[in-house]
Amino acid sequence: MEFFNLFGQSRELRQALELSRVRLYRMAYAWCHNAALADDLTQEALTKALRKSDQLRDPKARDAWLFSILANCFRDHFRRQRDMDDIDDLDLPDEATPESHSCTKEVVDQVRAAIARLPEGQRQVVTLVDLEGFSYVEVATILGVPIGTVMSRLCRARNALRALLVPQLERQNTAPGVALRRIK
Amino acid sequence: MNQEQKFSDEFLNAFVDDQLAPEEKGRAYLSINNDDALNRQVCELRKMRDLVQLAYKDLSGFTAPGPRAGRPGNTIAAGFILAFGIALGWLLHQPGPAPEATPVAALPAAGSVPPAVATHKPPAVPPAAKPLVVAGNEVKVLFHLSSDKPERIQEVLDEAEALLKFYRAAGQIARVQVITNGDGLNLLRTDKSPDPERVRAMLKTYDNLSFAACQNTIDRLKREQGVTAELLPGASVVDSGVAQIILRQQQGWIYIQV
Repeated sequence: MEFFNLFGQSRELRQALELSRVRLYRMAYAWCHNAALADDLTQEALTKALRKSDQLRDPKARDAWLFSILANCFRDHFRRQRDMDDIDDLDLPDEATPESHSCTKEVVDQVRAAIARLPEGQRQVVTLVDLEGFSYVEVATILGVPIGTVMSRLCRARNALRALLVPQLERQNTAPGVALRRIK
Repeated sequence: MNQEQKFSDEFLNAFVDDQLAPEEKGRAYLSINNDDALNRQVCELRKMRDLVQLAYKDLSGFTAPGPRAGRPGNTIAAGFILAFGIALGWLLHQPGPAPEATPVAALPAAGSVPPAVATHKPPAVPPAAKPLVVAGNEVKVLFHLSSDKPERIQEVLDEAEALLKFYRAAGQIARVQVITNGDGLNLLRTDKSPDPERVRAMLKTYDNLSFAACQNTIDRLKREQGVTAELLPGASVVDSGVAQIILRQQQGWIYIQV
């Protein structure tokens, strides 16, 4: 009986994992902005989750557990890459060219570019809170940092996004006539 | 900036994310309602949250793979089908060369009639090979039209036509694309085009000519003037005129701004 129970549970978990794939991918993509890497990280996280499924005691905490595995995979990935500088110390330059700036006026691109410019820690916190709606406590568990850090990172991230995005969006709204002529 | 305010930024963020205890929340509600600056700040924080959600709502490029859990049945079936296909292909292929080889060998030997067939054969090969050789020399020209001045539109049509005529006469393979954005889009709009007949005629005469309209411009027209741009038949749409121009230039197209 115990055995069948276990079996049922694991099948349920497998289905849940499969359903979480898109969400995990979205989060991984928001962190690294690289589709292939995001896919790899998602797969890695799911594999680990499946392998260590016995560590999950409380099914209600499954989401936080899954995303903390993803966060570990993400951190491990960058730990493996020794040739990189600590991303937390860098203010990442915007990779978009002036041309793409002038033509891709789409809000989505702007927001993604702004998020890509955030330091890694802030990016993780803001995406976990905004995309998945995790509570601050859960985010602190997922990332393994104190809750105060979560709050300050979130605060800085939102301020940075606001500083980047609000002027851009306002400029777009105020200059309709010029915008048509700007592309030569 | 926030010194004189009662709430820290962290507190406001927690308010926006619904992370406050109920009594704290009630207090915050009252204060925020009575304070325009705070209200605006909360509003902007909410906006940031909405923007982040919007930015990752649509994940283009993500193809959710099917369940990866092994389905041995499928794999085995696929293996069988593959093996069957290979075997079938091999079997069908085997007798092929033999009959083909015989006529080719036999025809020249047969006498007067076959040579006609034989002479037909060789020319059939070069035309197939020729474009491949010339493809390297293919001329690719890109005209960029961003103005709706009649003389500019006239000019781009004249230039493109003259060029196409010249290359056709010279037997040179050429491709010409006219990319329109901004005001230049008018060339391709059914209601605004100064000379739709000519565009149609040119497209009909030259199959190596194409007209492209910028989707961004179309969207902008829709957004700012509420106009849905209807394009002439035969005109294609590219996501972004500028991006297309850059792409084409990277592909070795010659760029001419009109």
